[in-house]
Amino acid sequence: MAAANRSRVSPFGTTGPYFPIEWSDDSSDLTHVGSATATGQHILLAGSVVEAGGKPTRNTILEFWQPDANGIFRHPLDPRAAEADPGFAGWGRTRTMANGIYRLRTVIPGGYEENGVMRLPHINVMVVGIGLTRRLVTTLFFGEGPDPVLDLVPKARRARLVAKRDASLDDGAAQGYRFDVVMQGEGETPFFAD
Amino acid sequence: MASPTLPSSLSLVDYPLYDDATQMERRIERYPLSFTRTPNEPLIARPLTRSERTGPRNFGNLFGIAPGDVDLSRATPTSPLAMGQRIWIEGRVVDEDGRPVPNAVMEIWQANSAGRYVHEMDDNLATPVDPNFHGTGRLMTGKEGEFRLQTIKPGAYPVLGTGWWWRPPHVHFSIFGMSWMDRYITQIFFPGEPLNETDLLFNGVRDEEARQRLLFQPLTPSMGKPGKVDEPSLIGYKLDFVLRGKRATPEVD
Repeated sequence: MAAANRSRVSPFGTTGPYFPIEWSDDSSDLTHVGSATATGQHILLAGSVVEAGGKPTRNTILEFWQPDANGIFRHPLDPRAAEADPGFAGWGRTRTMANGIYRLRTVIPGGYEENGVMRLPHINVMVVGIGLTRRLVTTLFFGEGPDPVLDLVPKARRARLVAKRDASLDDGAAQGYRFDVVMQGEGETPFFAD
Repeated sequence: MASPTLPSSLSLVDYPLYDDATQMERRIERYPLSFTRTPNEPLIARPLTRSERTGPRNFGNLFGIAPGDVDLSRATPTSPLAMGQRIWIEGRVVDEDGRPVPNAVMEIWQANSAGRYVHEMDDNLATPVDPNFHGTGRLMTGKEGEFRLQTIKPGAYPVLGTGWWWRPPHVHFSIFGMSWMDRYITQIFFPGEPLNETDLLFNGVRDEEARQRLLFQPLTPSMGKPGKVDEPSLIGYKLDFVLRGKRATPEVD
């Protein structure tokens, strides 16, 4: 393919308010694929998504991409992809309710080594929805570091990217964790350049 | 389940930052939510690691989907046709080098022909719901990144509360490409619609050439056979989606 064929990437757009409800709800549990169940510590991840002034947002869509409990991504670029947990989806999606709260069932991801550096257990998070003409991308961490990406976030803001254990969310064997997203304003979530 | 089809040189793909000049503005005048939901703090630069270079490709399992067309013009395969102008949309999903993105999942959602969504947040109660139109569908692209879908042309609708803003007919697309970096969502408009001129989102792309890439291109309409419902007459449109991603050094062949 000649370089002359190189095209400019299509413009991103907003989901608007009407992203289908069932497409979020049906993918909000990463811990089962078919009849298989994910290995590792199951968690119930929940939190709020607010805009300026701490105002809750409704039907904001959150997508998640993470390795399994052993730190393996189900993708050909992961050298251990063949060993990925067949019971773990890797990707999931949820939405905020009218009160601004979302819920997701997943597992605590495993850490892994990449180019001789250890990565802290983490989950990629993408936020789209009403008012967002582009996606917002960030990363949720289990632990405070060191991690080559978390370390790039100004120290005073790092705590915003760390999931907090919240026993009030425990549900059976699933441990509760809390991760709030502040799109704008006081305590704003650090987002990455995209 | 067959393993996902991926170019062997995927590790060489670069995902440069989106060029803000040819993307939609983050804050759009007269669109208040774009001002209260866009971060104030600068976005933080980071290197791309395995975590971002990978992404979901196992939708055969997750969605039970295989390459092929989708038809939104009936609520179920056996229910009556939805009301409205029947159309087809076809095109390809490619990267910036023009390479096809095979087995990409595409999600499509839209209003009915009167401009109403089947959605709990659509409060345009004066606009009818069509019991034969759900307005959502999924497909998976083929080996060359090609796709084709049938639907009906969506209607325009008012953004209640603004007192003036009518959304022109548009179709929403969500595409899962090769990685977390080319995950893509947008809405595509119909050429020649007067409401395109005043739409805040369509015109939120300031660059004229880039804005044109949010328009379907008209194809020669297909002519069905009299009395044959399975060979319909359809107005056709074409659109190619260019996802982020290119080789650091383009090959020449």
